Amino acid sequence: MGNEPAHTVTRYDQELDRLRGIVARMGGLVERQTAQAIAAVVDQNEEAAVEPPELDVEVDALERDAESLAIRILALRAPMAVDLRLIVAVLKITGDLERIGDYASSIARRAMKVEPLDGALSFGALRSMGRLVQENLNKAIEAMAKNDSTRAMEVWNADTVVDELYTTMFRELVTYMMEDPRKIGPCIHLLFVAKNLERIGDHATNIAERVYYAVTGEMLPAVRPRGGAARKGG
Amino acid sequence: MQADTITAGQDVAEASRPLAIQVRNLDFYYGKTRALHDISLDFPERSVTGMIGPSGCGKSTLLRVLNRMYDLYPGQKATGEVLYDGQNILAPGVDLNLLRSRIGMVFQKPTPFPMSIYDNIAFGIRLHERVSRSEMDGRVEDALRRVALWGEVKDRLQASATAMSGGQQQRLCIARTIATRPEVILLDEPTSALDPVSTARIEELLDELKTEFTIAIVTHNMQQAARCADQVAFFYLGELVEVDSTARMFTNPRESRTQDYITGRFG
Repeated sequence: MGNEPAHTVTRYDQELDRLRGIVARMGGLVERQTAQAIAAVVDQNEEAAVEPPELDVEVDALERDAESLAIRILALRAPMAVDLRLIVAVLKITGDLERIGDYASSIARRAMKVEPLDGALSFGALRSMGRLVQENLNKAIEAMAKNDSTRAMEVWNADTVVDELYTTMFRELVTYMMEDPRKIGPCIHLLFVAKNLERIGDHATNIAERVYYAVTGEMLPAVRPRGGAARKGG
Repeated sequence: MQADTITAGQDVAEASRPLAIQVRNLDFYYGKTRALHDISLDFPERSVTGMIGPSGCGKSTLLRVLNRMYDLYPGQKATGEVLYDGQNILAPGVDLNLLRSRIGMVFQKPTPFPMSIYDNIAFGIRLHERVSRSEMDGRVEDALRRVALWGEVKDRLQASATAMSGGQQQRLCIARTIATRPEVILLDEPTSALDPVSTARIEELLDELKTEFTIAIVTHNMQQAARCADQVAFFYLGELVEVDSTARMFTNPRESRTQDYITGRFG
């Protein structure tokens, strides 16, 4: 995928290129939203918190553009094989990217309500989680841009650690809240941020699955590796 | 479309069907030109095999081998085996009339005989069997009903078949083919001269006929192969490049030549 010879109909290639372009642009924006949102929280950087919700407008518009172009190609070109898989993948991936954008905005809006807890490990855990999620998202988007199924597989396998970190944070924060009811407010915000990060990780995994399918034509197994307790904790 | 039918080798229903025709190491020559190279292909019973490929790839040639239509032309020669009913139909001594009544063929352009609708159907039956007038009436009606033409023509069975519309003529030709009770029906681009509604009717008909007959269809229309066929074979320059379940062929073909062709990246 991506290395095929050109279509006999040049316009078809142009349309597919345009579709790839929209998704790439969306990927770039969402990466930026996520990076800013994480920086806003863990560095308590008020400026960084401004951009993610602003970028969300363009992300949403791009999702609609991708959808209408994909529908147009499906209707007019009757795509087959690698082209069909690309279009199906794009429809799904743009949905995931749009959700990631929403979560990033939500994290950014909450950033200033989160307080570093005295002596708490949670901020450190959040930092690790943020770094991992960011890494996975970047890899997923890179896999998408380069049609790299190996990289997609790496993302798919790496989400377990994020799930486990979330579960750990969840337990830890519950303990704090039980110990000191005055910490419930900031702890809840922190928990939401962690939960949103965990969701971003899940969507990055979805993207990896779609890329893998688009490139290889094979579906990854229905059950993917995940931190065992994450579901129960969340 | 179920997910499991997309994966190669998992099309259990197709794989476990008995085979109506087995082509083994078939080569075909037009004079000195080799048009088919070492083709081996199975046609499962009561299912539709679609054959696709660019012009001159050998798909129609293969179809013409399956009922030895090529015998009508001098200088054309097939070697290898085509096993049908336990017999190699390429061997000398095969009764070609009997073979062609069991392996019927429908062509690209409707080919009604210049006679009445009734006689178009009765003609083929009379070639092979002696039947009473009332039995013939029944056979004609049955054939016309199966191609969903009975309602349209029952009041004008004695009218000339050449006055029918193209779609009706093609359905009549299919009726004529199935009237002799064949086991296999070969169709060579049966809808390429028809409008979309007539095409849809023929495709619907194929869906019904495959419960009873083994069908092989050559088509230039990829969407038609996708809609009608259970398995699809892709030919290129006289070679069979790939054969697989239809779902697999159109979502994830193994060969890059197949993919280039079906996605419109050819040449």
